[in-house]
Order: sequence, then structure tokens, then C-alpha cells
Amino acid sequence: MLNQLLRSEWMKIKRKGLWFLAVLGPLGVVGLTMVNYAVRKDYLLSLSDDDWQIYLDSILSLTPLALVLGIVIVTSMMASIENETNAWKQWLALPVRRPTVYLSKYLIASCLLFVSSVILAVGTTLYGMSLGLGEQIPWIKILQNSFYPWLSSQALIAFHLWIAVANNNQGITVSIGVVGVIMTFMSFFLPDWFMWKWPSLANDWENPFINTVLGISVGLLLFIAGMWHFSKKDVS
Amino acid sequence: MSIIVQTEQLTKTFQKQHAVDHMDMTIREGEIYGFLGPNGAGKTTTIRMLLGLMKPTSGTVKVFGKQLSKHKLDILRQVGSLVENPSYYPHLTAYENLNIVREIVGVSQKRISEVLETVRLTEAAHRKVKGYSLGMKQRLGIAAALLHQPKLLVLDEPTNGLDPSGIIEIRELIKSLPKQYGMTVLISSHLLSEIDQIATAVGVVSRGKLIYQDQMSNLRKLARSTIRIQCSDLSQATIALKQLELAAAHEGEQLILENCSNRSVADAVSLLVHQGHDIYRVEENKQSLEQIFLSMTDGVSL
Repeated sequence: MLNQLLRSEWMKIKRKGLWFLAVLGPLGVVGLTMVNYAVRKDYLLSLSDDDWQIYLDSILSLTPLALVLGIVIVTSMMASIENETNAWKQWLALPVRRPTVYLSKYLIASCLLFVSSVILAVGTTLYGMSLGLGEQIPWIKILQNSFYPWLSSQALIAFHLWIAVANNNQGITVSIGVVGVIMTFMSFFLPDWFMWKWPSLANDWENPFINTVLGISVGLLLFIAGMWHFSKKDVS
Repeated sequence: MSIIVQTEQLTKTFQKQHAVDHMDMTIREGEIYGFLGPNGAGKTTTIRMLLGLMKPTSGTVKVFGKQLSKHKLDILRQVGSLVENPSYYPHLTAYENLNIVREIVGVSQKRISEVLETVRLTEAAHRKVKGYSLGMKQRLGIAAALLHQPKLLVLDEPTNGLDPSGIIEIRELIKSLPKQYGMTVLISSHLLSEIDQIATAVGVVSRGKLIYQDQMSNLRKLARSTIRIQCSDLSQATIALKQLELAAAHEGEQLILENCSNRSVADAVSLLVHQGHDIYRVEENKQSLEQIFLSMTDGVSL
């Protein structure tokens, strides 16, 4: 049944501009970094001997914002597809299991953001190589830089999807989303246990792997809670 | 005829208010069951519980003889529904909308063109639903409900927002379904005339309670008529008619005959004329279905 639901969900997001968004996000991040290097390349190269590290850090300073913004927009649009004409009552009166319906929405949202991460990895590598930051390309670091934020933000995807599906009112969904984006923006000042800090990969142990473990495990808990709520809820 | 839908003491409470109050509804195979009641009487809430969209506060729903709470997927595979205003994906075409549903119910692509033909949307099939008129959206909703040839079709106010010709068209379509495909149809409406023209059985709901449930023909029998005669010297006339054993009573200025066969009316009139009464008017007074419902629902108009 999951296969059928996923195929349906892909059809539903056609012409919604979600693919455009998935491409725009990572290109925006690389684009802003290009501007940064165009303006003050000499200064940035003088900061350290490890030019790749400085380059990857400047990418990573932008990624969480783009990612959280993307999560807010994607989840709210995934839910609005049904909320708009209250299509839940049609969709859930079909022979489908509600937990599977919820899972299909989550997988699509997460998958779109994964595609963004792939584009980010490719963009990071290509522009980095064109800058001539050194012969030794740090492949592992590039992959970590591109995919760890995505893994760490699974909790945020689960959280914002729950909010979006539970509220027919898109105003509430977007308001909470805006608060989330602001928190991401200020993540430097937030404690390590704060979900919105995790995509920045920063923590006191200086080990980004911890963030991915936190993101995935808390994400799983929030996903189960959201799914449970969705399955019990009366559809009006 | 086997029973398709059976609810037992079905109840739904919202903040201590009974939206649906201990309802025992029975729908038999091949019926077009008209679910009639004023707005806000609990029709839509009942229908949502029949489709598993809401959980009953108490009571049970059985569809095709199976408990809905335990066999929801099996049951929903054979149920088509259109609840309240139509739901659709406005940024997609009618064909794409139906294709999404088709993916879930697993029928062939050919069915899409068939149902589009049935609701006469073939020409608009590849236009975005956003630009459809309300009537077209409603027809698309019906097409989606028919897609998998369900055994039970649940239509909540399907003629809402349709123009007169659209209403007639949909009515003819619904009427043909039990014969052509062996479907059983549950149709709700707040319009008596709508149910009167379409239904073979009827359930009347008021304030969450099912206050009447029977075959439509039995309901029509309740609509009996009387003959009212207005003439000079009422008391004399009443006595005269009593001799003819025509039960006559007088109410205000009028005599009322309960028996209104042609013979007895003719006898009564000729008797009165022969006795020299002036007859001002003779009229038939039929208690309409409308009035019967009005009295059933304590004056809440339909």
C-alpha cells in the first residue's frame, strides 16, 4: 500500500513548485557563497592554511537556514494539498491505512530535501574545485557537510509535518515555521538540546555525528507521535 | 434483501452535545435511502461515522454485515463517497485527480474515461479543476466515488450548487445505479422534494435523532386528503350528512368529509343541494409531505 500512496503523493505535488524549491535551496546556498568569495576571496583565503575547511564552513553557515526554511515550506505545502479543499475526507474514506498515509507524506518531504542535499553536495564540490582551494579534495568532509544537516533535521521535518497536518489553518503552520526559522538563525546562542540548533552541526563536543543521532532518534519519536495523533483524529 | 448498513445506538457527542443521538439506521440492498433532515441535524456527522472518518462516542456501525471498527479497509474498498462540498486537487486536471484515486483503488485506466463519460466531463478532462464551475466539481466528486464500482455509494448533499438541469441529470444517474450496477445508495439532503423524487426508503433525522424510517411508499400513504365544503346553515347541513353516514365534522365555517371518494362527494353535494343549502365551495385539502415533516421535526423547516 505504501507504494501506491507514494505514487499518488508524487502525482499530487505536480505543478506545486516543490521541485523548483528543492533545486532553488541548494543553488541559493552555493550562490551566496559565490558572492562571498567574489567580494573577499583574498581575505577568506588568508584566514587559514586549510582553504577547503574555510570554504565548507562558509557553506555550512548558510545551509541550516535554507534547510529549515525548506522544511517549513515543504511540510506546509504537503499538508495544504489536502487542507485546501478539505480533501482529507475524500482521501481517508478510501481504503488506506492512516499511519501509511502519514508515512507517505513524511517520506516525500524528506526525499525532496534529500534531493536538495545531493544538489548541495554537487554544487559545493564543483564551485570548490573552480576556486582552486587545493589539489586534495576532502570528499568525506563535503559529504558530511551536505548530508549531516539533512540527517540532523529529521526531527524538524517530523515536528513541522505534524503541526501542518494537525492544523487546517495554514496561518498557524506558517507562524510556527517562521519562529523555527528565527531560532535557526540564532542557533549559535541556543543550548545543544534545542532541535533548531542541530542542522548547524555545532555542539559542545565538536562532534557533528551526535547531531545526526539526535535528529534521527528524536525525529522517530516525533514521527510516531504525529502519526498516532493523525490516526486517532476525527476528520471534519 | 440483505442489510447493507446497520447502525446500533450510534452516538456522537461534541462537548456534551449529542450531534447524533442513539441512531438505529437500517439500509437494505438495492435501496436508495434518502437521509432527510434540516441543516445541522446530524446527517453529515452520521455519514462521517459510516465512512470511518469519525469515531462514534458509543454504538456500532455494521456495513455489509461486518463491524466497521474491525474491518475498515475491507469495507471501504467497496464504498464510494462524496461528503459535503466536493474535495479535489485544484492544481491538477480532472483526469489527474481521478488517476490519483485510481492508484489507491486499483482499477484500470479505462475506468477513468468511463466515469468521466458517465458524469459528462470528457471534454473538460484535461483542464485544471481550479477553473471548473461548482457543478462540474460536484460531478467530478461523483465520478471519483463511482471509479471502483462500489457496492455502497454514499452521497452527502450531492445536488448542492447544481443548476436545475444538473440536478435532473444527477438525479437520473443516481436512480439508474441500483438497477444497472446493483449499487445501494445513501443520499442525504435537506430538501424534501429532492428525496421524494429519488428515494425508495427514507430516514428522517432531527436534532441527532432518527425520528422516522420506512419505505417511501408508506410515507406517502400518510399524506391523506379531506374534502372541505362551505355552505349556508352549517349545523343543518352537518345533521343531514350524518344521515348519509358520511362522517362529517365542522370546523369554523367549513364541513369536513373524511371519505373523499368520488361517489361519496357526489352524494353529499346532491343531498345538500336538494335540501336547499347554498354551496359556496367544495375543495380538496391534501396534507402535504411537507406538513407531515414539519410536524415530525417540531416545526424546524426542511
